[in-house]
Amino acid sequence: MRASVNQKLTELGERERLKELLRAKLTECGWKDQMKAHCKEVIKEKGLEHVTVEDLMVEITPKGRALVPDSVKKELLHRIRAFLAQHAT
Amino acid sequence: MSSLDNSKLEGLAQEILSDLVEDACLGLCFDVHRAVKQGYFFLDDTDQESMRDFEIVDQPGLDVFGQVYNQWKNKECVCPNCSRSIAASRFAPHLEKCLGMGRNSSRIANRRIVTGNNTNNKSESDQEDNDDVNDNDWSYGAEKKAKKRKSDKNPNSPRRSKSFKHKSSMMGPRRRMDNQESPRMLMKDEAFPQ
Repeated sequence: MRASVNQKLTELGERERLKELLRAKLTECGWKDQMKAHCKEVIKEKGLEHVTVEDLMVEITPKGRALVPDSVKKELLHRIRAFLAQHAT
Repeated sequence: MSSLDNSKLEGLAQEILSDLVEDACLGLCFDVHRAVKQGYFFLDDTDQESMRDFEIVDQPGLDVFGQVYNQWKNKECVCPNCSRSIAASRFAPHLEKCLGMGRNSSRIANRRIVTGNNTNNKSESDQEDNDDVNDNDWSYGAEKKAKKRKSDKNPNSPRRSKSFKHKSSMMGPRRRMDNQESPRMLMKDEAFPQ
C-alpha cells in the first residue's frame, strides 16, 4: 500500500507541490536563514576550501529536522492526510 | 475506517513528511555547497566600502551601472559600400539597401525597375543584377495591377475586402479582377434602398 501511495503522490504531481510548499514555508518562517547561518559556522570551522557535501549533510540534516516549526509541520501533515484520505482507500 | 487503519495512515503521513523535510535539508546542503565552491556564499558579508562602489546609480542620463547609454545616438558611421556618412540609428537599414541584401531591398529594386521601364526604357536595373527581374512569378502586366492594388491598400484597412471577394477570381498570387463585382458590393446597392 505504501508503494502505491508513494507512486500516486509522484504521478499526480502532489509530491512536487508539497515540496514547493514546504520550501516556501521554511523560507518564510526564517528556517532557511537560520540554517544558512549555521552553515557559515561549519564552513568557517572546516575551512572554505575543504568543506564537502557530506560535511554539510552531517551537520545540517539533524539540526534542520529539529528546527522545523510545528506550525509548518501541522500544515504539511494536513495536506498529506487529505491526499491519503482521497487516494489511499 | 478502523483505528488500525487510521494509525497506519498517520504513520504513513509522518513518513511522507519526514521524507519531504529531508529533501528540503539536502536541497539546502547542495545549494550551500555549490555557493561555497563557486565563491558566492559569503558575498553579502562584504565590507561597507566595497558595497558602496557597486551601489545602483540613479542619475539622469546614466544606466544603473553608471554608463552613459545614449552616446551613440548622434554618432555617424561611414558606409563601407558607398562611403557616405550615415547616422548611427539609420545605419543598419541603409546598409541593407546599399548592399542589396535584406527583406525589402529586392522589392524596392523591382519597383524601381518597373517604374524605370514605364517612364523611360533605360531602367535602373543596369545598376543592379537583372536576376531579380527574371525571378518574378507572374508576368510584367500583372505586376502593374499588383502595384496598383498596393497603393490603394493604405487609405482603407487592409482587411476591407473579405475572402469571398477573391475566391472565384484567384488566379495568381496577387491578382485582382477589376471588372468583377464582388457579392458584397452588390448587396450594398440593393439591400438597403429604404
